[in-house]
Amino acid sequence: MNFLLKRLAFYLVAFVVAATFNFMIPRMMPGDPTDIMLSHADGTIPPEAREALKATFGFIDEPLHIQYGNYLASIFTWDFGTSIKFYPLPVTDVLLMALPWTLLLTGSALAISFSVGTLLGILAAWRRGQGVDMVLSPLALAMQSIPAMVVALTTLYIFAIGNQILPTGYAYDPSLDRGFTVDFIASVATHAILPVLTLSLVFTGGYLVTMRNNMIGQLGEDHVHMAEAKGLSDARVRYAYAARNALLPSVTALALSFGALFGGSLVTEVVFNYPGVGNLLYLGILARDFPLIQGQLLIMTLAMLTANFTVDIAYIFLDPRLRKA
Amino acid sequence: MTGFLTSFLRNRKAAFGLAIVLLYVMIALLAPVIAGYEPLARVARPHQPPSWDHWLGTTRMGRDVFAQLVWGTRTSLMVGLVAGLIVTINGTIIGITAAYFGGVVDEVLNFMTNVVLVLPQLPLLLVLAAFLGQVSPWSIALIIGLTSWAWGARVTRAQGLTLKTRDYIEASRMLGEPAWRMILVEMLPNLLSIICFNFIGSIIFTIITQATLEFLGLGSPLNLSWGTMLYNAQTSSAITVGAWWEVAAPCLAIVFIGVGLSLMNFGVDEISNPRLRTLGTIGKALKLQRELDRARLKEAAQ
Repeated sequence: MNFLLKRLAFYLVAFVVAATFNFMIPRMMPGDPTDIMLSHADGTIPPEAREALKATFGFIDEPLHIQYGNYLASIFTWDFGTSIKFYPLPVTDVLLMALPWTLLLTGSALAISFSVGTLLGILAAWRRGQGVDMVLSPLALAMQSIPAMVVALTTLYIFAIGNQILPTGYAYDPSLDRGFTVDFIASVATHAILPVLTLSLVFTGGYLVTMRNNMIGQLGEDHVHMAEAKGLSDARVRYAYAARNALLPSVTALALSFGALFGGSLVTEVVFNYPGVGNLLYLGILARDFPLIQGQLLIMTLAMLTANFTVDIAYIFLDPRLRKA
Repeated sequence: MTGFLTSFLRNRKAAFGLAIVLLYVMIALLAPVIAGYEPLARVARPHQPPSWDHWLGTTRMGRDVFAQLVWGTRTSLMVGLVAGLIVTINGTIIGITAAYFGGVVDEVLNFMTNVVLVLPQLPLLLVLAAFLGQVSPWSIALIIGLTSWAWGARVTRAQGLTLKTRDYIEASRMLGEPAWRMILVEMLPNLLSIICFNFIGSIIFTIITQATLEFLGLGSPLNLSWGTMLYNAQTSSAITVGAWWEVAAPCLAIVFIGVGLSLMNFGVDEISNPRLRTLGTIGKALKLQRELDRARLKEAAQ
């Protein structure tokens, strides 16, 4: 319990630091952010709304510490102001519309890449130096150093442009009515295949290498030799003795990749014009939509911290040593 | 140091990776000689497929893709090198300082490192680049260099902590060696492989991130680099009109430098942790055994 409380305190402080950065970045940049921001809105915003926007965003001539106070308050009331790009929608609404799509993409891709990568990593470690390992490890390594945009452009070209078997972009066919109909769900599924495939390809390599290296470390441990000496079956030694302990760092990698996945899914969403939070952040950045960007960064940070905290809790179940402490 | 170098070169993966990277370095250095065309001049009709005159075809603006790729190599390597150096120096200093001095210094530095590690990095980089507005490659190198040191610091600190408890460190402390000597002469050489790993990893990360930022249109379009090539290809919808060469060329350039650098890193990893080795060493041992057997058979036959 003590351990969890300590971690929680750390995440709280980390969040305040991140929020402070988020507050300072637009204010430290050269030029008047409000002018840059509103110049991109090309007259779609009436003058009185401009003043109101300036006020809600805190760019009025208040002392910095009062602006900061208002900003911190806005985090807790979950009110990030009005989006400029999607005026007059509030930032919270815009984000909530995009969030389910990203969760669909990243959730499926994480599940696929983690299970495939981990299983292949166990296999590669078990047959270290043999054919499987000789193919899998360098391949995983190469995949790890290929950026998401390259994979995305390649899958897009192969499956949607060269052979037009899958749609080039967006999350569903816009001519269909949204709802729980077979057609709509099928359309969502076919539109998700390419982005999910891209993300899975990008992330599998990392899990494979992590698992292989930890598993090799575990295979040299005494308790694994003991299990072998007891005459347990290969499968039992592999999964119940070695893999179980080797899994810990992979679980950490899983959490840390949540943040990377937001970044990675950003590029993938942009290439496939997928209406998730990554694409939204991109559109916000292009339009210099400061309220949207700030709200989004806060939510991404929050997601990252939550993922890390979940790992801490998972560790208590996975690592008995922490339960005693 | 020399021992590290020879085992590095003897590792087949590392040597192969190094060869790829050296090829890129050669291309970057000889860019004016091998480019053939002015990279930003209109030298042919738009979107010509690869041919004898234009090895990698032309862009929509009628520019030579090969010339752009060659000049872009310069930018990408320079940015990778500069950012990699900043990341590694920062990470190493912070990591070693935290490990060596311990106590409050360690608490503060370790806390900083952990906070930076839990921030969503790519979105933050994008936002920074966007606020700075159409950043030059040098600004990108600086932004990446100053924000990406946390991983290296953490790993260096962890390794430094285990070093600190070794007997020889204890002994030199009792001999009254000053802190700078302890750090530079006693600890640093033993952290070499981790620092090396960190440096190469940071270069890969930088090259990929720079290309991503520019692909998304956040870099300055006036600079020639793989990222801006991809950005221009994307905005001229090269992929949809079938001009695949305009997209494939920079993509493959990024992939191969990434593979080369990771092979080098894989080698470093295997040297510092021999258990991770794949066939290389085991195969070598088997081969040696077979040769010995053959020699013995020959002897027996005579």
